[in-house]
Amino acid sequence: MHGPSAGPGPAGLRFLGQEEAQAIDQELFTEYKFSVDQLMELAGLSCATAIAKAYPPSSFTTSQPAVLVVCGPGNNGGDGLVCARHLKMFGYQPTVYYPKRSSKPLFEGLTTQCKKMDIPFLPEFPTEAAFIDELYGLVVDAIFGFSFTGAVREPFGSILSTLERVTVPIASIDIPSGWDVEKGKADGLQPDMLISLTAPKKAAMHFTGRYHFLGGRFVPPALQEKYALNLPAYPGTDCVLQLT
Amino acid sequence: MSSAPGPPREPPRYLSRAEAEAMEKELLEDYRFGRQQLIEIWGHACAVAVTKAFPLPSLPRRQPTLLVACGPAQNGAIGLVCARHLRSFGYEPTIFYPKRSPEPLHRDFTTQCEKMDIPFLSYLPTEVQLIDDAYNAVVDAVLGAEGSEGPEPCAAILGTLRLLRIPIVSLDVPSGWAPGPASGDISPAVLVSLAAPQEVTRRFQGRRHFLAGRFVPEELQRKFGIGPRHYPGSDCVVAL
Repeated sequence: MHGPSAGPGPAGLRFLGQEEAQAIDQELFTEYKFSVDQLMELAGLSCATAIAKAYPPSSFTTSQPAVLVVCGPGNNGGDGLVCARHLKMFGYQPTVYYPKRSSKPLFEGLTTQCKKMDIPFLPEFPTEAAFIDELYGLVVDAIFGFSFTGAVREPFGSILSTLERVTVPIASIDIPSGWDVEKGKADGLQPDMLISLTAPKKAAMHFTGRYHFLGGRFVPPALQEKYALNLPAYPGTDCVLQLT
Repeated sequence: MSSAPGPPREPPRYLSRAEAEAMEKELLEDYRFGRQQLIEIWGHACAVAVTKAFPLPSLPRRQPTLLVACGPAQNGAIGLVCARHLRSFGYEPTIFYPKRSPEPLHRDFTTQCEKMDIPFLSYLPTEVQLIDDAYNAVVDAVLGAEGSEGPEPCAAILGTLRLLRIPIVSLDVPSGWAPGPASGDISPAVLVSLAAPQEVTRRFQGRRHFLAGRFVPEELQRKFGIGPRHYPGSDCVVAL
């Protein structure tokens, strides 16, 4: 079944528009009574698990499996904070850069959890892509997610420019940051991995990296049916599914 | 991740109830974990442990049915989250949750289960054969560490659980187990300990014991003398 919103990946898997993605999110909170806390925990765990599958610690050429996690101001950044904590538990050495911190208790809690687990928070973003390549074997892009519209505000414009010149792999959470959620961005970030949460968005059709994972294994069957997501089955109890 | 065997398995360190409570307090107050976040982490890990103890292909019944008995407090909430994840793993849980907590958090967990089309029994058959025939196993999320019999109808539930032939999986502490000599205790086949096994479970003699402690920060593991322990790959539980 290939309709206008079908794309690469298992037959029938739907790629969502921005409004649909927002509607599903809203429904999870208002109808299904999930909390942001819960879903963020499961989403961040999915991201860390996908990373562990594609980039095991033993595959790093840096002396330690060092990962830079760049967190934006909203929920995508929150997913990054959860991901960083799980990466630490999986044996990586994450470092977080979180320049615009939400004051909501959830985000303050997630930040504290990371800090108390000895995950360093950089005071400044590395000025050169070469410094990032030197220090880290992987960058996690947790800057902007599916709610992103409009222009990129500083400091994220400069950050994205630097990331576009990085040669180590970049793993983007849900949407490669700076991309239009539906149309992508041909001259934007080119991540090696994309972890689509809940269901892939249309931007994922423009993804050309090596690894596309599906994560966020929490969508109730009734909601999947309502939106005809046609999600393929996750393997066993895994919280991620490799699409490509 | 490496598939080499981990270090030789050491016997676990058992925590007293006071220590377990102190650790939970520190997770909430110092580490600023949210209570809902912790219950989600624990419930998910318990579901993973259940799938390891009772893999889908190994179930004796044609349908992968499980009964999840949930008490009125936190252990029951963990059971609700566990049931939801079991449903997404392809099992068919049914919940018995007779005394519902009025707490908004627990009510939300209940709604999430209802909206996953998980049935809630309105009563538990006293005819034990009916339960033995309908379900492959029972998840005991009735009392946990809260000690002895608890308020009604917990005592009645435990009375029924004692007579079952199908295996019981207890979450954290088998319901009704208290310090002192065991008398009339339920005998679960499987125990899932959370951060660390609790002292009162030292006498557990069932066939599988899992630890769902990966979430415990290293500093707390050191402080309470419960780590480190090797977890395979990105698994959140390990068999002891």
